[in-house]
Order: sequence, then C-alpha cells, then structure tokens
Amino acid sequence: MDLKATALLKLVYLEMFGHDMSWASFHVLEVMSSAKYLQKRVGYLGAVQSFRPDTEVLMLATNLLKKDLTSTAPTTMSLPIITLPHIITPSLALSVLSDLLPRLTHSHAAIRKKTIVTLYRLALVYPETLRPAWPKIKERLMDEGEDPSVTAAIVNVVCELGWRRPQDFLPLAPRLFELLVDSGNNWMAIKLIKLFATLTPLEPRLVRKLLPPLTSIIRTTPAMSLLYECINGIIQGGILGSGDDSAGGEEIATLCVTKLRGMIMVEGDPNLKYVALLAFNKIVLTHPFLVGQQEDVIMDCIDSPDISIRLRALDLVVGMVSSDNLMSIVGRLMRQLRNSPFESKSDHMDDGPVIIEPAADSDDEAPEATIRPDKGTAQAPPLPDDYRIDVIGRILEMCSSNNYGNLVDFDWYIDVIIQLIRSAPIQSQASMAKESTSRDGVDISQKIGNELRNVAVKVKAIRPYAARAAESILLSAYNDSSSQLSASSGALRPVSWIVGEYAQYLEDPSSVLTALLQIIKSAPSADGLIVYLQAVPKIFSLMAGDENISWTAEQKMMTSLLMARVIHTLEPLAMHPDLEVQERAVEFTELLKLAAEASSGQEPTTDSVQQDAPLLLTQAIPSLFAGQELNSVAAGAQRNVPIPTGLNLEEPIHPNLSRLLHAVDSYSFDEPDHDEFEVYYHQQITVSLGAVEPAANRLGEAPPEEKVHSYQQGGEDSYLDPDIVARRRAERAERNKDDPFYIAPNDEVSGTSTPLHNILQSNNGQELDIDAIPIMQLDLGKTSLVSDKPKAKKSISSKARQRIQVAADETLATSGMSTPRNGDSDNSADGSQRPRMSKAKQSLLQVDSSNIGAISLDDDGTGGEIDYERQQREEAEMAKAVREVERLRLEMQRANERIHAAQGVSLEGTVVKKKKKKAKPAVAEGETPVVVKKKKAKKPVADDGEGNVADVPAAVVKKKKKKKAKIDEGVVAEESGVSGTVEGA
Amino acid sequence: MINAVLVFNNAGQPRLTKFYTQLETSVQQRLISEIFTLVSHRPSGSCNFLPLPPLLASSGTSTTSSEPHNDVPSLVTYRHYATLYFIIISTSTESPLALIDLIQVYVEALDRLFENVCELDLIFNFETLHATLGEMIVGGVVIETQLERVVEGVRMQGKVAKRPVNEGRGGALGMGGMGGNFAWAGR
Repeated sequence: MDLKATALLKLVYLEMFGHDMSWASFHVLEVMSSAKYLQKRVGYLGAVQSFRPDTEVLMLATNLLKKDLTSTAPTTMSLPIITLPHIITPSLALSVLSDLLPRLTHSHAAIRKKTIVTLYRLALVYPETLRPAWPKIKERLMDEGEDPSVTAAIVNVVCELGWRRPQDFLPLAPRLFELLVDSGNNWMAIKLIKLFATLTPLEPRLVRKLLPPLTSIIRTTPAMSLLYECINGIIQGGILGSGDDSAGGEEIATLCVTKLRGMIMVEGDPNLKYVALLAFNKIVLTHPFLVGQQEDVIMDCIDSPDISIRLRALDLVVGMVSSDNLMSIVGRLMRQLRNSPFESKSDHMDDGPVIIEPAADSDDEAPEATIRPDKGTAQAPPLPDDYRIDVIGRILEMCSSNNYGNLVDFDWYIDVIIQLIRSAPIQSQASMAKESTSRDGVDISQKIGNELRNVAVKVKAIRPYAARAAESILLSAYNDSSSQLSASSGALRPVSWIVGEYAQYLEDPSSVLTALLQIIKSAPSADGLIVYLQAVPKIFSLMAGDENISWTAEQKMMTSLLMARVIHTLEPLAMHPDLEVQERAVEFTELLKLAAEASSGQEPTTDSVQQDAPLLLTQAIPSLFAGQELNSVAAGAQRNVPIPTGLNLEEPIHPNLSRLLHAVDSYSFDEPDHDEFEVYYHQQITVSLGAVEPAANRLGEAPPEEKVHSYQQGGEDSYLDPDIVARRRAERAERNKDDPFYIAPNDEVSGTSTPLHNILQSNNGQELDIDAIPIMQLDLGKTSLVSDKPKAKKSISSKARQRIQVAADETLATSGMSTPRNGDSDNSADGSQRPRMSKAKQSLLQVDSSNIGAISLDDDGTGGEIDYERQQREEAEMAKAVREVERLRLEMQRANERIHAAQGVSLEGTVVKKKKKKAKPAVAEGETPVVVKKKKAKKPVADDGEGNVADVPAAVVKKKKKKKAKIDEGVVAEESGVSGTVEGA
Repeated sequence: MINAVLVFNNAGQPRLTKFYTQLETSVQQRLISEIFTLVSHRPSGSCNFLPLPPLLASSGTSTTSSEPHNDVPSLVTYRHYATLYFIIISTSTESPLALIDLIQVYVEALDRLFENVCELDLIFNFETLHATLGEMIVGGVVIETQLERVVEGVRMQGKVAKRPVNEGRGGALGMGGMGGNFAWAGR
C-alpha cells in the first residue's frame, strides 16, 4: 500500500503536466480507503485532481466518504470535506448531506468553516440541500461567540449566495452590518461590502445606514484593497445614483472620484491604476461628467506601457467620449498608432516556438496539450496587432457612435480614416480566415473601409470628399507597391464600391479605372473581385457615356480602346471558378462587346454630319447604374419585411427537372456559359437578404438580368413550359418586391423592348415601392426588432441555398457554390441566433449555478417547502412502486435490527444501515416522532403538517425515506425511538 | 469565487494546479500554457492583472457582452516570485486587490512551512502545497486569510511535511534526478 500511495503521488504529479490518469481511478479509491492518514491524504488528493463527474468509481466512493466524514480525528474528517467540492454530484450531495450537517457544530473551527463551504458547493449542484443546511449556517452566523474565521467563511459563502438571490439575505442585514462595523478583518469587510452592494438596490434604506461607515472607512483605512472595495461597493450598490439626498450623493461621488484619482496618480503601483480604471469604468455609466474631469490622468494611462492598463483605459475612453473631447482623444490614439513601431512579424515567429512547449517535459505529450502560437497572446510592448486592431475598432466606434452624433468635422474624420487604412495592420490570409470565423467576419481594414462607405452614403455633403479619398486610397494601392495596401486588403472592397457608385465625383476616372483593372488582375480572392468587377462598368459608363461629348473620331477611338482594355481584363474571369465572379465578368464583357459593336458601327462626327454617340453607350449602360439613390438600411430592417402570402419556396421548380436539364445540355447556345439556366440559378441568389454591403452587388445585378433577357430573346419561352415561365415570373415579382435594392427597369433600359421584357416590367417595376421598405436610416436600436421575424428570414435564405444546391448537383458542378451571398445569409442567420447560442454556451471554469437561483431560502414561507415535499414524495412514490414489496420486508427486518443495533452502530453500508443512519439527524431535532406522524397524516391532508415541517427542515429529508415504506406508525415510532436511544448512547 | 489556482515556474512548467471546477486535463494544459504566454510577456513593473486568455475570453465574452454574469471567470491575477508565478483565476465577485494579498498570504505560509521556500521545495512537497491551499481555499471559497491559522492547520495534519523537506533536498542534491526522490512520500 505504501508503494501504491507513492506511485499515486507520482501519478498526480504527472497529471499536473497533462498526462491523463483517469485509468487509475480505482487505485485512487483504494489508496483513499487506506487506514493511514498520510496515505489517505494522497488518495484524496488523487481524487481531487483526477475525478470527473463521469468517473464511475465515484459511486463506490460514497460509502467511504460517509465513513470518513464521521471519523473521530479532525484531520481525517476534513479530507472528505475539502474533497467533496471537487467531485460532487447531485446524488452524492444527497447522500452525504446528512453526514455533513452535524459537522457544522463540530468542536474544531477549521472543520466548521470547511463544512460551511462544502455545503455551499453541495447546494450549487443540488439546491435542495441548502434548505436543511441554511438555518444551521444562519445560526452559526448569528452566534456572537463564534470563531471569527468561521464567521468570515460564512460571510464568504453568503456573499457568493448573495448575488444570486439577494432578497433572501435582507433579513440578515443588521447582523452583517454589525460585522462590518466591528470586525477588523479586511477580507471579510470587503466581502461584506460586496454583499451590501447587491443588497442596496432592494432596500434603499440601507444606503443611508451604510454611508457613514463606508465614508469613514474610505477616509481612514490604511488598506488600499478595502478602500477600493468601499468605492467599488458604493458604485455598484447604486449609492451614487440614488438621487434622494443629492447633496450627500454628490459629496460621496466627489470623494470617490478624488480617491480614485489619487490611486491613479500614485507612482509605481500599476495595480492601483488598474483597479482605479476599473472603478472609473463603472462610474462612467452613470456619471460621465465626473470621469470626464479626470481626462488628463486617464489619457496618461492610455500611453502606459502595460497592456492591461491600456486596455482598461481604452474602455474608459470610449465611455467618456463627447463631442468636445472626441477629436483630442482620437488624435492621441492616432499618434500612438503612428509612433509606435509595428511588431514585426519575424518577432512573432521567433516567439512562437519558445512559447509552444512550456510543459514539454517529455516528447510524447498529448497533441492537444501543445498550443499553437496565437496572435492574441503576444502582448509585447511594441504595439501588438491585436491591440492595434482594438484601438482602431474603438476609434471607429467612438466616432460613429450615436449615428455620428459626436462628430462635428467630417472632413477630419475622412482624413482619420485614410490614416487608419494606412496604419492598419495587414492580416495574412490565414488570420483573416480565422477572423471571419471567430469575430464578426470582417477584418479591421475592411471595417475601416466600411466606415468610409457609411460616411459616403449617409453624409451627402461629404460625399465628394469621401469619393476623392477613396480614389486616392485606390490609386496609392495601385501605384505604391510598398505601401501597406495590397489587393487583398479588405479596405479596397468598400473603397472600390465608393469609386464606382460615386464615380461622378472622381477627379481622374481614367486612372482609377486603370488602377481597378490592375487590381482585378492581381486580386486573390473572389470576394474582392466581385466588388471590383462591379465598379468597373460604373466608371466606364461615366467616362464613355457622356452625351455632351461629341462623337468625334478621337472620342470613338478612345472609347473603343477603353472597351478593349476592359474586355481584355474581364474576359479571363469568365472562366473563374467562383460563380459570382464568373457571372459578373460574363455579363459585363458581353455588354461591352455589344457596346463595342455599336460604337464601331457608328460613324464618327465629321464636319458635315453631326453624329450622336451610340445610344447604348449614352443611355443604356448609364441607366443600368443610375437608379434610385441608395440609402443605408438598418441591419435588421430586412427581416421585418413580411413574407408575401402565396410564396412557396418549397415548391419544386419543375416536376421533371432532370429531363429538362438534360435537354438543355443538348441545346447549342452561342455562349455556353451564358445559358438561361445559369442565369436563372444566379437569380435565385438574390433572394438572400443582406444589409448594407450587398447593395452594390444587387444594384448591378438586376438590370443586367433584364439585358440578358432581351438579348437572348425568347430564350426562356422556347424551352420552358409555359406554366414554369409564368410561375417564375410571379415568383420573381414577389421576390423582387422584397428586395429594396431592386431597381425598377425604365422604358429607357433598352430601346428594343421585347414582349417578355414588358411582362417583366409590368410585374416588377410598377409594383416596386421603395417606400414600403420599413427603414432607411441606419438605426442601431433597430436590432431589437430583429427577433420579430427571424424564422421567416431563415426559411427564405435556407430555401435559396437549397435551390442553388440543386443546380450544383445537376449541371453546374464546376463551381464552388459557396458564393459570398451564401455566406452572407449564413452570417445573418447566425447573427439572429447568436445571442441564444451564447446563452447556452458555458464558459470554461464556470460553475453552473443557474438552478440555485430558483430555490428560495425564505424559511418563514411554506411555499417552497411544499414544493420540496411534493418532489420528495414523488420520488418516494416512484421508488416505492418499484420496490414496495421488498421494502416492506426489509423494513420489518430493519425494525428488528434496530433493537439489536441500539448498542453500537455497525457501518457495513448496506441499504438497511443507510436508512438507519439517516434517521439519526432527524432524531437530533428532538421532534421527530411528532413529525413522522404528521407525515403519515399528510398524504391525505397535505397542509396539515406544514408548519412543523418548515421548522424542522433537516428532518424532512429523512422522513421521506421512511415514508416510502408502508409501515404502520407503530413501527416508525418505535424505530425513531430506538434511534433516539442510539443517539443517546 | 475562485475558479483556479495555478503555480508554474518561469519555464511554464506547472508546480501546482488546482481547478475548482472539473475540467478536462488537456483543457487545463491549454489554459496553463495560454496564461503562461500572457504572463511571460509582461514587462516588469506592470500591474498584476492579466487580460483574459483566449480560451476564457472566447467563451466568456459572448456571455459577458450580453450581460455581465458573476459566474464567469473574469479576473486573472498573478504574482511573480523569483522563479515562480502564482495565478488565481476568479470571478468578478472577488476583489482584485484582496486576491493579490491572498497570494501573498499563501506564499508566506509556504515560506513559514518550509523555511526559505524555493521551487525545489514545492516540487518535492507538492502535497504540502495542496494541503496549504486546502487550508485557505475550499471549493473556490476563501476560508482563511490569517497566516498563523493556515500554518497551524497544515502542521496539524502533516507533521511529516517538514522532515521530508530536508530529506528530499538532500536526495535531490545527491541524485540529481527527480524520479528517485518520490520515495519519501510513502515512508
């Protein structure tokens, strides 16, 4: 056994290094049951470190625990007590409770305090155990003669329980107050203050009582921690906020703030700085102006070398920002970003391997035990990227908060944004991918770009300036290869959207177009390409589509050259693996080819003949992009659009789709890439809903679709059954009604309006009512509405996806169907679910105490008790139903044994014995016989015994067991009487 | 409450791990190494509070963002003594400054027990380490903050604790291997 204990100890040591020792749990149990204390201690240590709730031997350990709990030596006794919190399960809690309760009155203070804590942990997993335990704990608390450290332990427990059900602890307030004033124990005082902070919101009168002692503590205490907690308590208890006696409130608030300021000012103690900032963070919610006065010290903290302090200060700064200090704060942060060196990537990599194996004592570590270098963990003084990203995020948050309410100078803001884009850390593709899964799917430079776009869309006055800013960013990305920007930068997407959408403000469209084309060639990701592609024809249409320029030979030349260049760039993309890119590229190339044809056919103006530029260039193409003004739409607004009745997305497209598709294959088209089916499936994608970003995508998409229809005249009718065509039209009409970005086709859209086109137009265009879309302004409060129709939203998007899938299976196998749209709808769907999901997700290390909140400790009321009783009774009845017969027999046997056992209790741990032991504490209450009788009577008359039962909660648990067996009262009375003797002996 | 108490040395090798909630061994290891990376990068003279390690932050922020929950570990306090880092992970119901003091008490208690405690003592007597902790914190709740009582409590249950210190140390010097020195525990 010695050997075994030693081996176990080594094993426990190895476990600390990450080696699994669950296989040894039975041996742990063996050592636990050793008679020698030291071996036993090793065993219990092994249990603490290695047992998990699913450890099977836990069942076997129950008896051992119970036995050791009743041991005579206090050291042995405390072993199970301190072990129980680690291994507790509901069933275990129930069975050891009866042994634990008497320990509350043990002669050793150490045992008492440990028991109290263990009872608390019992209650966490099995709240009902608190009911019998609470009166006893309270009794300990009220006992003036109690050992101070026991009282402190009780206060700790009460504090932990306190924030879960503060109302139950209000009656204790006088005693706690007494303790606060009298005790010299700082730790306990801190806990008491914390507890009071949760109590005061429920009992405003406490505030007046608490203020004098708290103020005196603040003024006098030498202990910084106590001082800080006093202030913290005042803040958290809402004492600052209580406006009844405003003079006193102001005074105390000022006192707190000055003290906190003093804490920050103390040189050389960063801890105080940190906690003071924490406290400020709480005050700032209610008293921003008070904190605002401390701006100077707080801003100093922002430049602190310590990252923790910086982050706290940053939090604070966001809270205290106002239109007055916004520019100076942002300026300061910008300076910080600018001046500090980038943490070089190589540093990062160097750090990696060193960090990786801190625990590697041996080579065969479990693979999951080694950590990969994480970008979030390197917190070195040169600004880590993480911090940079955080700062940039905060700057954007500060400026855009309250719908740009704090911002007075938008020119300045645009400059800030440009600067930010330059200084934003570049993220590798890998980390971007990680980003998109872990965060909200947007990397920081894209966030900055989005911000620029938001400003451009929302603030009309600044739009030309924003567009020029976007232009300069784009040009610098193109010209200056050494700059931070590259084609992969997320910022370029919104930026290129801006240059496309607001092309008329550009200073030099042709060079922007050149830059864009260049970027398209080098762009790595499909996501970016989609947006860049969209911008190209917009700029082109601006350049070529000007009616006022006369159609000279020179102009003709230039236009066709331009078109040739664009076509040259776009054409390779027609084979792009990403469907979205492919589609757009094809659309635009075809469009431009057509335009090129038209323009080459149009004779240039000569001196004699005045010629107009081809209509296609001056009218058709520009009109594709000059629709309604785009407004920003609240993130949740889309979800509020009601689903049109009669929209059945589950309806099969065609009962015999595969045959049709097969037939299509045998058709010969001019451009195989361009067949109706493909277009059709692409259209489906537009069903998916999105926020602001996809506006650009949609905008361009719908009109070209029209174009295509008229281009491939009658294509649809020629091979689709008439009913499908009709249904498709209806569907599309309904779909587009939901799409705020859908642009009504005008008559000018094409000069050669076809019958089909007309039908579509009457279906779509006239019915489209932009005003019917609920919200146009970006309204952050709007998100509360989001939950209203999440279901509807989801069903649409999922349907849309499903259909795409069909296509992928049948004919379009080449494409990775994961278009960004899909991702979009995924994201938004997730977004609506995220709150709920995260609720369910539990943090590591978190103790689940959700159920303890439900239990009421109000020992005067009987409501809870009844519940408890009923539950117990039900349980009992269940068990009874199963084992009634056997029970009866056992009961008889037990009654007999009782008499024999009266002299000495053997601890064989049989079912029978357990039952008996249970009886003992009940007897200790002194009232048992009465109660037991009541119990019997209660089945018919439930309310009868309530009062009594409430008085003796401890007894309740045991009684149930007895009640299970249908024995006559005589036996029970006898039994209790006997066990009474046992207790006496 | 206190969620975990960790002790590891400057190389990140754990010397004591105590989790007051049950956790997979591998997760424990990840957490330790994450905290170690955080802690080892801190410049001297910075404060004793760590930002949440990614493992805790990822699971924590999602819940804390919706509502600050007192059950979620939100505070990582550490202290650095010579070659050892002492770390306490706790929820927001603990006072940060008081936790720093608590670590101080713990270290002082160890010092009292071992007389000039050093890392080696902790390696060879890590059971005593646990026992001392058990006198101060039970189930994540602090039960004792007075140095004398903690020391007294440990002495009461482990008269052995002191003797092996010397034995172990002598053995360590003699044999230089850690494996051979475990024998004392059984004796």
